[in-house]
Amino acid sequence: MKRTVVPMGPQHPVLPEPLVLDLVLEDEKVVDAIPTIGYVHRGLEALVERVEYTEFGYVVERICGICSFMHGMGYAVAMEKIMAVEVPERASWLRLIWAEMSRIHSHLLWLGLGADAFGFENLFMHCWRTREAVLDIFEKTTGGRIIFSVNKIGGVRRDMADTELAAIVDTLQQLGAGFAETARIFETDPSIRHRLAGVGVLSREDAHAVDAVGPMARASGIRLDTRLTGTHLYDRLEFEPVLETAGDCLARVVVRVREIGQSIDLIRQAVERMPKAEGAPIEVKVRGLPTGETFERLEQPRGEVIYYIKANGTKYLERFRARTPTFANIPAMIRLVKGCDLADVPNIIMTIDPCISCTER
Amino acid sequence: MANPFSLPMVGRSLRNLVSRPATRRYPGEARPHFAGTRGTIEFDVDTCVFCGLCVRRCPTVALACSREDRSFAIEQLRCIACGVCVDLCNKDSLHMSMETPRVQIHAGAAPGDPRPGHQEWHQAQPAAGGPPGPGDPAGGVAAAAT
Amino acid sequence: MDGATFLARVAEYRADGWRLAIINTTSILPAEGMEHGAFDISWSFARDGALEHLREQVLPGEEVPSISASFGAAFLYENEMRELFGVNVTGMALDLKGQLYKTATIVPFAPSAIRARLDAMAKKA
Repeated sequence: MKRTVVPMGPQHPVLPEPLVLDLVLEDEKVVDAIPTIGYVHRGLEALVERVEYTEFGYVVERICGICSFMHGMGYAVAMEKIMAVEVPERASWLRLIWAEMSRIHSHLLWLGLGADAFGFENLFMHCWRTREAVLDIFEKTTGGRIIFSVNKIGGVRRDMADTELAAIVDTLQQLGAGFAETARIFETDPSIRHRLAGVGVLSREDAHAVDAVGPMARASGIRLDTRLTGTHLYDRLEFEPVLETAGDCLARVVVRVREIGQSIDLIRQAVERMPKAEGAPIEVKVRGLPTGETFERLEQPRGEVIYYIKANGTKYLERFRARTPTFANIPAMIRLVKGCDLADVPNIIMTIDPCISCTER
Repeated sequence: MANPFSLPMVGRSLRNLVSRPATRRYPGEARPHFAGTRGTIEFDVDTCVFCGLCVRRCPTVALACSREDRSFAIEQLRCIACGVCVDLCNKDSLHMSMETPRVQIHAGAAPGDPRPGHQEWHQAQPAAGGPPGPGDPAGGVAAAAT
Repeated sequence: MDGATFLARVAEYRADGWRLAIINTTSILPAEGMEHGAFDISWSFARDGALEHLREQVLPGEEVPSISASFGAAFLYENEMRELFGVNVTGMALDLKGQLYKTATIVPFAPSAIRARLDAMAKKA
């Protein structure tokens, strides 16, 4: 059978970020896929040589616009571990709340893009309209819609008043109630089911074999979530990861839809359980230069992110590495693309929630 | 063929047809900004003591100051609106405003120029008949130099 | 440790249900006794809440075997190691032949390249 090679990317209407897949087709079936990335490689890790560690947090949060807060938080937390700094509890709670809101906004963004990928533009608009409420909360509390610049080594730069937190919980609960209709559409609409059910099935064994992380793994039934380790105050919250067993694209959509509701609930729990000490310190003064190294893990919306920082006692770090979840999920994507129909390729690429700017830094 | 009235989106779509748009007709209608939104840096040269603390701590080296000349510059193109300078200043000379930044490229900038931004110099009244500051003051904010 | 022992340890991790978390490389700058510097490579495996590492210090040119036999997803990390650092990784499952990032500078994070950049910066200061 004759084979055709169709290059997809780097600019393609469906791709949120530049990625090239050279698809080898036999008729309409994809037989092989060769990936190429590198279009947004900015060499940010080399900037440790010229940006001091106090300011490197601003570089780190600009690795990606969607996962921006978690990158900043991961850097701050890892540096605090190296410098043995104990942040005030209120700062940790505020970081948790912003992190969960970051998860909500990222999942809403992805649901919109995923809907656009399978042609449902109306739903895309709805998801993004819902997301505006979250971005407004970010702007009110941190000053920026996408890049917050609110993390620093030793704590956070802005506080949220208890009244403000209560208002945020109300807004998010209204958002959740309003979003329930859209969620129902994602889960039950026959046209979506027709496009996504049974497509790109990643069985549990396959997910183990390719070391998938995040919603990719959770949709295949693997109970994998960095929040279960209980760090960063997650041990104070009641939390059970959302699992699905089907392992197809629809299951991954359903996992992300349910995680939105779960994050809203986590924020409500956090606001209830955090100490009502307004005026409590939100940062500590950090002195001295960092020495040592550490690995730090967080649960970003796309999965587990690992930060490795090595400091050698000068004001420039020796090494900074962010292994983002998309980096770990790309082998899963390549595994899924082989053997599918050409029309399913956009859905499968979108289903890993690709954040190529995070992958390439 | 699915029954079109059981499709969950139909109700939503019909409601959308009769409700008002979710988007604003920008720039005709602008959304009011929130109190804490980070925007442009505005500088008040009269209160500045030219200590240089903000210059040292700016992550993108967007600020420059000269104590002898009593002048201070902001390169808006480099500014990332992080607000560190605003937080640090002991004299409250810097503050965030929601004005659209007056970002300008300086006349000699070529492609690949690492610093194409125009530096907006602010000149304080010289203490006792001192020399005027370097650079060309940009529109609106510079105090007069004698 | 030698290649065979290393691969055996990696296979043990796989058999016990560990997941490959990250393969990280750090360049060690050229110094006394190491004219071309070295690489500090760490293979990290995760299971439940635990994170364990296998650390090796490798000289430039020394062969590092690929762990793709046990962990198929390792090819991305290994391609990156080879392309950005210049670590001599052999036997990768999917070899992108230096076309992963397509950087303008070849091996931008190799010890000699980092030393050159730091010297240039010090000279300018």
